[in-house]
Amino acid sequence: MKLSAPQFWRVRENQYKLVITICGDCGKKVVFKRPTCPYCGSGRVEYAESAGVGVVEEFTKVYFKRDSSEDRLPEVVGVVRLGEGVRVVGEIVSIRDSEVREGMEVEAVLRKYVSDDPYGIIYYGIKFKPV
Amino acid sequence: MSAYVVGGSAVKVDRHFELGYRDLAYRVVRDCSECLDVDYVVISSALPELSAHQIDLGTHVVQWLGRRIPVVRVESGESSGLAAVELAASLVRSGGARKALVLGIEKVTEYPTYTTNYFYTLTLDYEYEVLRGVTPPAYASLAMKELIKSGIRRECFSEWAIRMHENATSIPHAMLKFKISYDSFRDAQVLADPLTLYDSFALGDGAAALVLSSTPSRSDSSVEVVYTNAEVGLPAYARERISDLSASTKALKVAVEKFGLNLRKVVVELHDSYTPYPIAILRALGYLSNECGLGEFEHLNLSGGLKARGHPIGATGVYQVYEVFKLLTTGLGGRTTSSEYGVVHSMSGPDNLSRVLVLKR
Repeated sequence: MKLSAPQFWRVRENQYKLVITICGDCGKKVVFKRPTCPYCGSGRVEYAESAGVGVVEEFTKVYFKRDSSEDRLPEVVGVVRLGEGVRVVGEIVSIRDSEVREGMEVEAVLRKYVSDDPYGIIYYGIKFKPV
Repeated sequence: MSAYVVGGSAVKVDRHFELGYRDLAYRVVRDCSECLDVDYVVISSALPELSAHQIDLGTHVVQWLGRRIPVVRVESGESSGLAAVELAASLVRSGGARKALVLGIEKVTEYPTYTTNYFYTLTLDYEYEVLRGVTPPAYASLAMKELIKSGIRRECFSEWAIRMHENATSIPHAMLKFKISYDSFRDAQVLADPLTLYDSFALGDGAAALVLSSTPSRSDSSVEVVYTNAEVGLPAYARERISDLSASTKALKVAVEKFGLNLRKVVVELHDSYTPYPIAILRALGYLSNECGLGEFEHLNLSGGLKARGHPIGATGVYQVYEVFKLLTTGLGGRTTSSEYGVVHSMSGPDNLSRVLVLKR
């Protein structure tokens, strides 16, 4: 897999932090810093950084084999409701997959996403681990 | 001006290791007598840059076919096929083409399945979903869990798959022409718990062709494209429920109300990449209760759907329209219907983009 340094560098703020977009028109909030509100299309938005703590609302144990996934299956992917009220999807790590539960409190951590093995670029970003 | 489907053909969805993109195109056109008399070609394909190192596939295919007519390629993820038909209908209606050939072509077996799985995952947002480990079956699994929590029984999803396999047994170009049972799910490979391989589409190479014309052919062998619509949904991570497929539901609801359709009675082809999606859509439209009720539909995915006919990603929508065209005219796999309308639904990702097309006899 060929990874691009400029592509990832451009989106580093959304990969290294949990930024929330708050709409100045409809009032809704959504994860990721983005120029427009996905709900009403307004460009009148503000940003806030999440404290990175939330609760697992849903999760699934994934066995879907694909390039770059071989060394980490099964992986647990969950929907986390952050303390600020928005939902974010991500991997849940640092716990046995059989021990993940709905309602479990988790916090954001920086972990490896993918790399150009063996000597290439490594992408890091947000995952979640139990508090 | 109107647009009519006046002909078409389909290659069996399969692992065609001996056929590339242009071979598949040649084969499907060779079997379609109406396909040569056209003045525009619209090619739909989602993966050639990834699976065959080829950009501008349309031009190379037309050159290979020995033609010198304008061509454009449409890429719109899993809904590419229906987008191509929509564009061709628009060309014909506007006078931009007298007869347009739509060619849906896809190769998914150029690499091992886990590599094609990665290509398929790119129907999601690479930077904000794929890199984070989110995959299409993960979303489908979460949608299934939500639906089960809301009262739908697990058996309803299994019933969908069982019906699709049953339907596909008589379809000449279907990939999985065998029956499965509820017992099949017991030992099925898990993709993303509780979603299994039997809840997932079959991945195969394929090619399908359609000819759209501004004039109908003989009355019993052409149908009119009377409606097309496309809706963009919210990213799945921005929804309160991943199973809320509002773009699909809205697009279908508009079509149903515009033509006074009852989806239990007309020919319908729904995009069933994963079993939770058609169940969620039909439930949101009020056709299914917690007890399911799939048995009440007379012509639902008679092709076997993506589940059993197979899902050659960017070509699938062309297969769907071809199947409905055949069911409304000369018949498909020995089946004919008296339905006046046929409805085709296609979506990319978990309702990121959804399209609906209506054909009228």
